[in-house]
Amino acid sequence: MEEMVRIVVDASKYVLPFLSLWILIRCVRSMLREKYEPEIWGYILDGRNKTTYPLTHWENMLGRTRNADVHLTNRSVQRVHGVLIRDDNGKWKIFDTFSRGRIAVNGKQVQPDGSPIKSGDSLAIGNEPLVFAEISSAKHAQLESRRTRAGRNVGPGLTLFGLTVFQSFLLLQHTLSAKDEHINNVILGFVALILIEWFCYFLMRSIRRNGFEVEILAFFLTTLGLSVVATSTPEDIFKEIILIVMGIVLFFMVGWWLRDLERSKKYRLSVAIVALIFLILNLLVSRVTNGAKNWILLGGFSIQPSEIVKVAYIYVGAATLDRLFQKRNLIVFIGFSAICVMALALMGDFGTALIFFATFLVISFMRSGSFATVALAITGAGLAGFLVLSIKPYIAQRFATWGHAWQDIYGAGYQQTRAMSAAASGGMFGKGAGSGWLKDIVAANTDMVFGVICEENGLLIALCALLAIVVLAFFAVRSAQHGRSSYYVIAACATVSMLMVQMSLNVFGSMDILPFTGVTFPFVSKGGTSLLSCWMLLAFVKASDTRKGASFVVKPAQEEEG
Amino acid sequence: MKTVTRRAGFAILIAMLVILGILTYGFRYIQDGANWASFFGNENVTGTSVLTDRYGVTLATMSSGSITYADDYTTRLACYQVIGDKSGNIGTGALTHFAGRLSGFNYLYGTTNSKGKNVSLTLDASLNVRAYEALGDRPGAVLVSNYRTGEILCMTSTPSQDPADPSDSPAEGTYLNKGISSALTPGSTFKLVTLAAAIDTMPDIYNRSYTCSGSIDIGGDTINCTGVHGTQDIYGALANSCNCAFAQIAQEVGPNALETYADKLGFTESHSMNGIPTAAGRFDKASKGSSFLSWAGIGQYNDLVCPYSMLRYVSAIGNGGSTLEPAILKHGATDRQTSLLSSETAEAMKGFMRNNVTNNYGTGTFPGLQICAKSGTAEVGDGTSHAWFTGFLDDPSHPYAFVVVVEHGGGGLAAAGPIANTVLQALVN
Repeated sequence: MEEMVRIVVDASKYVLPFLSLWILIRCVRSMLREKYEPEIWGYILDGRNKTTYPLTHWENMLGRTRNADVHLTNRSVQRVHGVLIRDDNGKWKIFDTFSRGRIAVNGKQVQPDGSPIKSGDSLAIGNEPLVFAEISSAKHAQLESRRTRAGRNVGPGLTLFGLTVFQSFLLLQHTLSAKDEHINNVILGFVALILIEWFCYFLMRSIRRNGFEVEILAFFLTTLGLSVVATSTPEDIFKEIILIVMGIVLFFMVGWWLRDLERSKKYRLSVAIVALIFLILNLLVSRVTNGAKNWILLGGFSIQPSEIVKVAYIYVGAATLDRLFQKRNLIVFIGFSAICVMALALMGDFGTALIFFATFLVISFMRSGSFATVALAITGAGLAGFLVLSIKPYIAQRFATWGHAWQDIYGAGYQQTRAMSAAASGGMFGKGAGSGWLKDIVAANTDMVFGVICEENGLLIALCALLAIVVLAFFAVRSAQHGRSSYYVIAACATVSMLMVQMSLNVFGSMDILPFTGVTFPFVSKGGTSLLSCWMLLAFVKASDTRKGASFVVKPAQEEEG
Repeated sequence: MKTVTRRAGFAILIAMLVILGILTYGFRYIQDGANWASFFGNENVTGTSVLTDRYGVTLATMSSGSITYADDYTTRLACYQVIGDKSGNIGTGALTHFAGRLSGFNYLYGTTNSKGKNVSLTLDASLNVRAYEALGDRPGAVLVSNYRTGEILCMTSTPSQDPADPSDSPAEGTYLNKGISSALTPGSTFKLVTLAAAIDTMPDIYNRSYTCSGSIDIGGDTINCTGVHGTQDIYGALANSCNCAFAQIAQEVGPNALETYADKLGFTESHSMNGIPTAAGRFDKASKGSSFLSWAGIGQYNDLVCPYSMLRYVSAIGNGGSTLEPAILKHGATDRQTSLLSSETAEAMKGFMRNNVTNNYGTGTFPGLQICAKSGTAEVGDGTSHAWFTGFLDDPSHPYAFVVVVEHGGGGLAAAGPIANTVLQALVN
């Protein structure tokens, strides 16, 4: 019997990488390869040249530029002329982008804050006469029935089953390596995670949502995180499970909140103010950890406000199309970003400041479309960076070690060299969950998780973890093409960019390819607030997924009609 | 919306950077993974790996978490640069370079299946000790190899230190294995290169005579000789190491042929000693008629030679024209041969180098050794000279090639010759 278990465990080392690859490939096939048809919300009819322009978004730009959603060629039309917007309740409004007074609805000039427009209204853009038509619910239902339902060809249930098998094998490996007093905890932890994910799955099925790939990828990463906790600090496994549950609850809550675009937009300012208060509070009452003052002790729990502010930052940074053409909005956002980054720099949390800055670049580029803005921001940050380096020797030291970790194996390169050594020693298949030595080094389960996974689970699984986030990014970009509102599109793209930058800093920092900044690997690193914020951020990705019947964050059209 | 959705490509740009990072990691893993895994802190290498010399003398032992070195103190010093230390101060050290081999690392399994492995070097530790003691407190290097097999028998470099008790600021050059990692002005040993070129390109070389009056004017510059050698044939010119004669020969051979030979004989490129890169030398072409060309032909000007390249060259002469690429890892015979000279030229060179000993250095200086050699006294510009002595034994039962360099050691024969004799005597007897 003992012998049998041993053989199964040895075999599982080779099964796990292929299982994780299989999970990843199924997600790729379903998220990136299946048909993804646009939704249609209305039409613009041009009586003169008998053209019908379908409106495939809630926010549509009318103009002469090739990037206009309704691309008009009349010389009297401006490049960016107007924006036609549908709100949550199906009410349409048209805005004159630069208030040039050259849009008329039923012969009346459009107001600066937009004019309502309804089916059958005539619309003049410049001297181009058009007619606006909403889609009828019957037509909508007909079109909707032709769209590909998410997960039709690649069922998420089977993928989740694969993940469950993955988790079971991983658990088996842990039961052989864990200390006797921890075995029960580890088993309970893994069983709890399996129950949680299936609960989420059936919850989604019960509300007829079938797009579960985003969650599966997150659960895959969470599984690796649980494995790291089981190997490094098995006594904390219940805490980790509680955090996972909290994270998922927050994920649903943020998702539910984002369902209503009007509500989301309305509270942007309040959220921004709360975020700033959080950061200021953090600056005042902070505890120093590893040179960075980014912890607050709150009722026995240490929380990292900057992690929560990440979610708020994207929430505040995203914007709807009508606001994108107003310079003032971008300037306010730049100010908000500068305060956030500066506060983080003052705390000495250089890694998180960098993550915010990268996210800032993505958001400001998506809002302005200008490379000049990005270049200017990078130059400014470069100068500020020099300033920070000159007043914070602790950060300068990290830069000094960067690329030279092996020359200081007892000093600043201590963690990186151990992580690299352990990572290489695991080869492709790893030593087996729970059997490594890197787990006992300080911060192994946060800053050096990549090393721990490489050592214990092998390079193949570690690469799957990296690729899971990259797949999420490609999915967000694909979804963006069919996004309803630019608010969701910008939020989703900013989220995946943030996750990728954070992951890169963690992984490549510990492998001495980037400076070692001590940020977390999304979903994998142990760390309370970080795990919560990652799940919350995931709701932004769900909000951009407009595949038929895919996401609980996206309301199906019928629901609003009624 | 299209304006915004097109900008979503920014996220793809970041994704590409992540993939670039992954590729960078993959590249580094392939390149250095073995070294990372063999870091002494890696507890996944269970069991013990031992690095030994050719006779099984332990030079270093690695077992989880620690390294111990040879038992004998002088052996530790004499082999320090070849072995390296646990801090990795010597990039060319065996501990660093054969780390993967020692830890049993492979790309598929890392060190998860490893029990550690033993690695033997071709080195004779006792010979290293003799060479190290002969160098004494003078900085320099000694290389000895078997030119029939390519095995390196002796490789020591000074100054050295005890890896078991390393200093934080050791003497300059301690971290350098000078035999393979330094490039020094070769002085008259470079005449072996000029001569080979002359033999191949000047058909009447054996009929020439050269008159030396102590100095010669070339290109408006005066080239001084070490003495007044009178009229000599080419044999006499090499035996006397006559600068006047070789200054003229260099002009006759010409810059192109000289450069071709420096390249072809392997002096200007880096070689691989079982994967350990050696230092490349340098040869700058000077224009015909200028004194620089003459200086270059007698091993001065900008000439730089790595002792390892010189060892390859004299091995080729001893071995009939082709050199067996020198090896430090003992895993059966090496058979990688490179032809440097035609067998006729090699045979002629052998005659020249034997003549140096019989007519100038004196066979009594090297009792019982069938030695063929060339000395070199390389002026380095600060008033001192590097002492070189290189050659081989023309003896089928003792086919050894050698290079001895003593930095700032003075005369080649006087400073480096006795070291060569000591080491070769120890090896032959």
